[in-house]
Amino acid sequence: MEVLQYSLRRLVAGIPLLLGVTFISFLLMVYFGPDQTYQLLGKNPTAEQIAEIRAELGYDQPFLVRYADYLREVATLDFGNSNSTGELVTDLLARTIPVSLMLILPGFLLGNLLALLLALLAAHYRSRWPDKGIMAFSVVGMSISYLIVIIAFQVIFSSSSGLGWFPVRGWNVHSLAEYLEYVTVPTLATVFVALGYNTRFYRSVIVEELNRDHVRTARAFGVPPAKLLYRNVLKNCLIPIITRVVFTIPLIVISGALLVETYFGIPGVGKVTFDAITTGDQPVLKAVVGLTAVLFVLAQLVVDVLYRAVDPRVSLS
Amino acid sequence: MSAEPILSVRDLVVEFRTEHGVVRAVDRVSFDVFPNETVGLVGESGCGKTVTGLAILGLIPSPPGRIASGSIRLAGRELVGLPESELRQLRGRDMAMVFQEPMTALNPVFTVGNQMMDILRRYKGLSRSQARAAAIELLAKVGIPAPAQRIDEYPHQLSGGMRQRVVIAMALSCDPKLIVADEPTTALDVTTQAQVLEQIVRLQQEFRMAMVLVTHDLGVVAETCQRALVMYCGRVAEQADIGPLFAHPRHPYTAGLLRSLPRVGEAEKQDLAVIPGMVPDLLDLPAGCRFAERCPRRDARCDGELPDLDGDAASPARVACFHPL
Ligand SMILES: Nc1ncnc2c1ncn2[C@@H]1O[C@H](COP(=O)(O)OP(=O)(O)O)[C@@H](O)[C@H]1O
Ligand code: SF4
Ligand SMILES: [Mg+2]
Repeated sequence: MEVLQYSLRRLVAGIPLLLGVTFISFLLMVYFGPDQTYQLLGKNPTAEQIAEIRAELGYDQPFLVRYADYLREVATLDFGNSNSTGELVTDLLARTIPVSLMLILPGFLLGNLLALLLALLAAHYRSRWPDKGIMAFSVVGMSISYLIVIIAFQVIFSSSSGLGWFPVRGWNVHSLAEYLEYVTVPTLATVFVALGYNTRFYRSVIVEELNRDHVRTARAFGVPPAKLLYRNVLKNCLIPIITRVVFTIPLIVISGALLVETYFGIPGVGKVTFDAITTGDQPVLKAVVGLTAVLFVLAQLVVDVLYRAVDPRVSLS
Repeated sequence: MSAEPILSVRDLVVEFRTEHGVVRAVDRVSFDVFPNETVGLVGESGCGKTVTGLAILGLIPSPPGRIASGSIRLAGRELVGLPESELRQLRGRDMAMVFQEPMTALNPVFTVGNQMMDILRRYKGLSRSQARAAAIELLAKVGIPAPAQRIDEYPHQLSGGMRQRVVIAMALSCDPKLIVADEPTTALDVTTQAQVLEQIVRLQQEFRMAMVLVTHDLGVVAETCQRALVMYCGRVAEQADIGPLFAHPRHPYTAGLLRSLPRVGEAEKQDLAVIPGMVPDLLDLPAGCRFAERCPRRDARCDGELPDLDGDAASPARVACFHPL
């Protein structure tokens, strides 16, 4: 009950934030962003032709009118049709966001879970060789460009000159078997790259907690070392961990993983966003920007409620 | 003293490897603690009191620290060199430690009861409900009102004094042979300090434990200890029973400390003598007596030679000074 009340209050409090974020991004998009005027016109257009097209696209309306229209669109989740393909924007997103999520989530989850395990191990053996090994591996993982990893993994796992176990590109998924076939190599690449960053982050959080007084108390009362990590330290570390994980989710939903989608030829939302930017497809851009703002407000709420669940010192009032 | 000592420390040396060289934080410290006895470790900040206490529990952070030599026996059993896994089994059960910082000593994300019951269940094999009942009883013993409610509260809901009582209750929970209390009241306000100290004395008598009480406050020593070691720069300057120590201090440093102690009846802080000069840097120690710089009785011998404690471990009073009072 308390949580419900709090959530409602936070949602209401999120409205100004939402307005602020959408206003600024809309402002930037209208005055500095790409639009479709010249895409739709022939060579050497006359002034009348330009004006006509702009009126058709609604670009001639005063800014505030356009912003109000935009807010209505965000509220009703109705962004009209894509300028480029004519497809309903909501259909477009409903089609591509799930693909991106299915593509990214396994790598995201594995990348965080494995990193947490490695970080616990490193923190447990801090300054000794398992720690040094894990940290060296992290630095290597962080220093290799994502692109190189993608290409190398494609060559190793998918190409005919390598193992040839998986399809190189595409997303032709109708069954679990097919899903696994297409998702494995992108997942391996994502995990490989994320692991370095995540492990370093988690290790620093855990080591910081291990140096606190309450850990010394626990040791003074004979808590065994493994239990020290999973019972006396892990729960205390959850706040920075939750923050990092939850705030990454809106980014995944919106931008997908542009690089992965591009290099594996997967029709996800990252590709859609990228195309909308290059072609000035404002209905799509507006949807993406609005959705990002909404998701961040929601993420903020989720994070706050979770904080309360792990740390009794955080109050929900 | 009758009987065998519960704790017997001999020539303990603890060193820390730092950027600037090896620091010898505890240098050949020896003392015994007998059953039902409280021994004070006194001295200015940085003289090695906490490190001595941590060494007894085997809690010296390593790296950078290590017990370089010496012996620590608990009820006859040698602890130096014992594998960590065996040492761990003794912590909280045969020996326990109460720390200086009650505000941060408990885990903020677990309830008081949760943290107490963890120890009771691990060492006494109690069921959840038995452990809970035992924890409530312990909380009552250390003077926490409404223990049945308090047990479900988180540390941040308790005052500093209450938190320290919780840690004391945890320390008592397995009837340890020895408790090391490291400045248990220093972080508390004066009124709470007196109450907690009184409680400690009462519990020490009730549980008939051996206790090492670390403090920088000779007043605390007077109220709680039967014997005390005065430490300076990692070494024992003087050790004696409380009566003689306060009535006839023999080491110039002890005498200086006593002069800086306000007495009942004397006007607050008036004419309080403070020992002039500074404690030498552990990385840059003089060749002779470490107190020489600040000592009114210093002579040429003090500058060239390091005084050792006179007598032997069995002596009732020992002093490390060439010209004792
Ligand atoms: N973790 C550590 N690393 C390096 N030196 C330390 C460490 N802990 C203690 N020391 C050294 O030991 C000396 C004594 O410290 P301590 O026992 O805490 O003093 P106190 O008597 O105030 O309790 C300090 O002055 C410091 O030089
Ligand atoms: S040995 Fe000398 S310098 Fe040191 S305390 Fe005694 S008289 Fe003072
Ligand atoms: Mg100390």
